[in-house]
Amino acid sequence: MPSRAKGAAANGAEATSSSSLKITVNGLPIDRPCPPERILLDLLREDLDLTGTKRGCDLGTCGCCTVLVDGRPTLSCLTLARLVDRRSITTIEGVTPVHGLSTLQRAFVEHGATQCGFCTPGFLVTATALLEERPHPTRSEIIDAISGNLCRCTGYTKIIEAIEAAAREGR
Amino acid sequence: MHLDPFELSQPTTIEEAVRLRAEHVDGSDYLAGGTDLLPNYKMHLNVRPRLIALGNVAGLDGISLDRIGAMARLADLERDRAFASSYPGIGEAIREIATPLVRASGTVGGNLLLETRCFFFNQSEFWRASLGYCLKADGDRCHVVPQKEKCYATFSGDLAPTLEVLDAEVEIAGADGRRRVPLERLYDAQGDGIHRHHMAPGELLVAVYLPKDARERVATYLKLRVRPSFDFPELGVAAAGRFDGDRVLGLRLGLGGVETRPRRFDELTDPVVGSRLSDERIRAIAEGVVRQSRPVHNTFLAPEYRKRMVGVFVRRALTKVRDSARVA
Repeated sequence: MPSRAKGAAANGAEATSSSSLKITVNGLPIDRPCPPERILLDLLREDLDLTGTKRGCDLGTCGCCTVLVDGRPTLSCLTLARLVDRRSITTIEGVTPVHGLSTLQRAFVEHGATQCGFCTPGFLVTATALLEERPHPTRSEIIDAISGNLCRCTGYTKIIEAIEAAAREGR
Repeated sequence: MHLDPFELSQPTTIEEAVRLRAEHVDGSDYLAGGTDLLPNYKMHLNVRPRLIALGNVAGLDGISLDRIGAMARLADLERDRAFASSYPGIGEAIREIATPLVRASGTVGGNLLLETRCFFFNQSEFWRASLGYCLKADGDRCHVVPQKEKCYATFSGDLAPTLEVLDAEVEIAGADGRRRVPLERLYDAQGDGIHRHHMAPGELLVAVYLPKDARERVATYLKLRVRPSFDFPELGVAAAGRFDGDRVLGLRLGLGGVETRPRRFDELTDPVVGSRLSDERIRAIAEGVVRQSRPVHNTFLAPEYRKRMVGVFVRRALTKVRDSARVA
């Protein structure tokens, strides 16, 4: 790297390939070098081996790659890892209890809200954030909240019912 | 899809951002929410060697009833209760943009300056190389209207028509300081799908300003798209009116998703001021807009259909504005 860029890195204005990234992933602090072009999804899947977060369309259409950034659902395929420096990331692994399943995950199982399962992590992360913000969402609020997550198997009805059931049961 | 390596700058002031952009005027892009730029970078569409990320720049954020920072997230604007209750028409437009996940990152400024779209442009590098590149990226001809001068890519932002019918202004920062222009004049009437703005290279959109009387207007935004989620508009119609009983005090109509810029039709709506907005007048305005609008074959739906639907959507939007003003 040119020395000018290196000098600027000291005041935080420039990110170079040598810049390090400090984030928290599922409660664990991560501190590692990260080039500017690294996408958060690639960092999670390829560098940190957190492969629960799926790569679907890779263009923001399908929602399979949804993670929480400071509690907010975010498309990790359209997020530069460097731009979440010092933020807290929660993936599907992070919303899953160490033993067993969350209320929402159990509801997905009980309602058959998952078939091939590829989109399921994205739905679970999106719905977890929804229930955090609105513990008792209406059906139309659920439909709206998951409208950025595509499922090609279920036809959505069972997913909506599972989220409704989890809301009734309380997280 | 992996991104090619680039340099990343994260300035903290507007002046620093503008200076960086001026230093790399042909070799950089501003990065706001990234929901439009990064997909294009992944498809190798006009990739630049440096991104200037705006997330840490002070003075680009904030939402109030008369000012929206350019970096305000669409989701935050949607959730701001005071704003949403004062501008239900803007809320309608925001909820039509992409998906809640895209709106969580996407910004107001990014939507106003959204890259124009065309199905010969928004394709993978492999696809574009196979056909032969186009004017807008790497090539020298247009595949939509075969010639070598003008790009017909469509302006596909949903927010601009609505903000235009509310007479919003935008603040722009450049090397020579700040200026404010009506949003409608940000878009170049003589431009094309490539040269679309009256903005000098390197200028930065700072904020949107809404006039005092915008809150007194009844506004709506109707969007035609293939799927009811995610899709960009095949056309979008915004209307806003102020009424005294049946009498029109002011009426504006905006059209997006059809041509290379979002545009207003004041010459068709101004003559109605002072009189009643009858069904006949609505039909006449709709016919006028249809006559002037020129969709081309570069989005999913056929241009003949979109042109007919322009008339239908204009009628619906004007009728809705008139009738909801009556109820209110």
